[in-house]
Amino acid sequence: MNRYPLLIKNFVRSRGLITGLLLLFISGLVSLHTGKYFLDRNEEVITKTSHYQQENIDRYVKYHPDEMGLLLYYIRFGLVHTTPALSGLAIGQRDINPSLVSVTIRNLEEQKYATDLMNPMYQLLGNMDFSFVLFYFFPLIIIAFGYNLVSEEKEGGTWRLVLSQTPRPLQMLYVKMGVRYISVLSVLLLLLVIAKFYLQIPVDAAFAIYCLLAVLYISFWFCLVWLVVSFHRSSSRNALILLTAWVLLCMLLPAGLHALVVQWYPAPEAYATVLESRDGYHRQWDRPKEPTIDKFQQRYPQFSSFRHPDGEDFSWLWYYAMQQMGDEQAATAAKLLKEKLRQRAAFSRVAGWFVPTIHTQLTMNALSRSDLLSQVDFLEALEKFHEDKRLYFYPKIFTEAAVSDENWNDFTLEYHAQENRTGWLEALLPLLLAGIICMGWAKWNWESMPLARKL
Amino acid sequence: MRIQTIRLLSGLVWKNKLKSSSTPWLIGIFNVMLFVALFSGYRHMSEQQQLVSENSREVRQQWIDNPDKHPHRMAHYGYVAFRQKFPLSFFDFGMDRYVGNVVFLEAHRQNTVNFSEASLSNGLLRLGEVSAGMILQLLLPLLIFFWGFDLIAREREEGMLRLLLTQGVSWPELIIGKSLGLFYLSLSIFLPAAVIGLILLSLNSLTGVAPQVFMSFLALTGSYLLYLLVLSLLAVFISARSTSSRAALIQLIGCWLFFTLMLPKVSQLVGQQLFPAPSKIEFDTAVEEELIRQGDSHNPDDPHYQALKDSLLAAYGVDATQQLPFNYSGYVMREGERLSAETYRQHQERLVDIYHKQQNVVRLTALFNPYMAVKNMSMAFAGTDYTSFHDFEDQAEYYRYELAQTMNELQIEHIGNQVQSSADKNAIISRKHWEAFPDFQHRFLSFGQMLQKELVSLMALLLWLCGLLTLIFSVKYSVN
Repeated sequence: MNRYPLLIKNFVRSRGLITGLLLLFISGLVSLHTGKYFLDRNEEVITKTSHYQQENIDRYVKYHPDEMGLLLYYIRFGLVHTTPALSGLAIGQRDINPSLVSVTIRNLEEQKYATDLMNPMYQLLGNMDFSFVLFYFFPLIIIAFGYNLVSEEKEGGTWRLVLSQTPRPLQMLYVKMGVRYISVLSVLLLLLVIAKFYLQIPVDAAFAIYCLLAVLYISFWFCLVWLVVSFHRSSSRNALILLTAWVLLCMLLPAGLHALVVQWYPAPEAYATVLESRDGYHRQWDRPKEPTIDKFQQRYPQFSSFRHPDGEDFSWLWYYAMQQMGDEQAATAAKLLKEKLRQRAAFSRVAGWFVPTIHTQLTMNALSRSDLLSQVDFLEALEKFHEDKRLYFYPKIFTEAAVSDENWNDFTLEYHAQENRTGWLEALLPLLLAGIICMGWAKWNWESMPLARKL
Repeated sequence: MRIQTIRLLSGLVWKNKLKSSSTPWLIGIFNVMLFVALFSGYRHMSEQQQLVSENSREVRQQWIDNPDKHPHRMAHYGYVAFRQKFPLSFFDFGMDRYVGNVVFLEAHRQNTVNFSEASLSNGLLRLGEVSAGMILQLLLPLLIFFWGFDLIAREREEGMLRLLLTQGVSWPELIIGKSLGLFYLSLSIFLPAAVIGLILLSLNSLTGVAPQVFMSFLALTGSYLLYLLVLSLLAVFISARSTSSRAALIQLIGCWLFFTLMLPKVSQLVGQQLFPAPSKIEFDTAVEEELIRQGDSHNPDDPHYQALKDSLLAAYGVDATQQLPFNYSGYVMREGERLSAETYRQHQERLVDIYHKQQNVVRLTALFNPYMAVKNMSMAFAGTDYTSFHDFEDQAEYYRYELAQTMNELQIEHIGNQVQSSADKNAIISRKHWEAFPDFQHRFLSFGQMLQKELVSLMALLLWLCGLLTLIFSVKYSVN
């Protein structure tokens, strides 16, 4: 055993390896800063919106103190898609889909998909969040640490020495790899601990699964490296194989899968929602009022007692019934669109079981609620929120309730928080299996090929 | 510098590389990847183009089909504008997936351009997309570095270098010769893709309406050739300066990582922090507040509109707006639209200015980063950069304004002053006016407009070329 401390000392003294670890650590810190910046900005938007919403309500209550219908034409209510602190580690789609949507009780379809203002250049270049560093940089450093594990000794002429001096040379390789594994793992764990405090991530199941997933992900890459070196190829050959694997697993396969998903599940319904909701609402202006109101009252029998005043050109009952028709006409397209998005998410997930990198990326986004399903979930929450507001205000509008009777200070931002949907087993199993397959194959290689084999 | 020697050296690179069994495979794999990327990109683009044409036709039909009515109702009925894809966009997707595709244009309001493809996709998009542009910008350099790292370093290790130099080959000849060999190798991947790209481009139905695509294609090809040449020189230069081929490989891969993964993301973070941009809610609130300050047409006591009314009454010598010879509420709305559009435009310009400043931080890194330079140029010429998108936004807003004001003019001119509501029988004008209002046509940028923004990137690539050549001629090399 007394030979092993020397291996460790050798490792610590090697400048390349320390540089590699330092590089990981520093890019990790930068990524945490990116996450913090993202979370802070998000928080700031929510605080400001909360303030603006109150201002907006107060202003219009002052302008239109005696017409509920007109007042509700203007005022907006915000629903926040709660951003867990964990999404500072995996920003996912959160920089594309807004985490806060403000709507009036009018036609929802015209408001639902409004985007935030973002510089598209940044969305294209992407965020250097922690998941990115973990996803791309850790594997590269792991490859750099391990690709010549055996071949460097062979090429440097020390392998013969090792074989003659060590009773169990494989044991020595295990230790050599183990030292690298533990050093990379320590950097990862250190970063996660810093992240926990810096981003104030609560320790819950989602964070625990995230951490384990991160550990399994780097373990998978170590297993893959271990598998490749077990073939006893030359250093340059190993480097080529591993780099190709990296390009394939981290770039080509995810991009290829995305292209497939878009091809197989096209979403022309998106455009249809725009055209249908516009047509559904605006056409009502030129039609007789009764059918519009009838349809509205079929939908909401509780408002059957309200009537459009005879001979009048306008009533709020008719107006909001028209607005409702926009949503009704777009309902099929909107439902199909959500269905498509769900199918896209489901298909990618299944494909992810076979590609560890894709699985890691998708699961991390799911854990931090920054994936596509969370967005669909939020859209549905927004529909419910909007419906609740409508049902609350409709009777007040139709009975011409006094604006002053309402306590307008009660209408603050509301929050939609999502529970973690990801289970331990489904998150961790694919990576565990991939690691075990690599290790098993490598074991077979070590046993079937004599260690003394020449290059 | 002897042309003969250089030709000989570059030929040798070809011969030696093709001897290795992996080279034909690599060339084959890259060609197949590029063909797949080009064909699938082209197919997706044509489908989207068709979808946009169909939907635009439907919008037009719906617009024309509206019955006789009050023009302000038409202003609210509005229009829907779709962003059409530039015929070369299949070559490099650029920002195309991240910017919206459809915008609802109505009176009084500027809506966002919605439904970017990114908003409909899961996190995989963020790991990159396979397009010809991505393969050429990101993966081909890796291959060039892989082919080039040992071109001189290995000869040094094997002691062949001294032999070559004693035969009278100079260092610059050696490096330029080998670089050209490497460059020719990379052409075996780029040229077939360029030819296929050109064929697909000429097949596209929109190419006819946008002849500038061929200039763009030429410029695009030029940018990639320049990029590949710079990378070939860089690879061989580093190989010549490194003590071992292993060190050369590590340096080159380090360069690649730094250029393609690190620098772009770090520079975007820096840009964002240096020039913070407002969020949607801040932007909207700022616009709203300024509009209220200028005059709120919805506020009955607003001084701006009160003054307008008083001056009109005085000018026409009447006591009430109903006595004016034109439709007063149309007049007020025209004024309101003018003010709000103007205010919006000012804020929008300020926002776009911030975006440009942010993007310039990234764009300036092209001076240190040939990858960023070629990425920017490629996006610009493929019509998938911010300039192209912003131009669409401008066209849509211009059309929206024209639509709203045309409807206001119709109201001022044709609607009586006595009518109380838009449902009034006297407040209706003929539907022939709808047809008279032209359709929305998304026009693509001209070649000059595309080039203008990316002159910096072009300069950066040329600077890299000159810089590398200067280095190659001036640096001292060691034989051992």
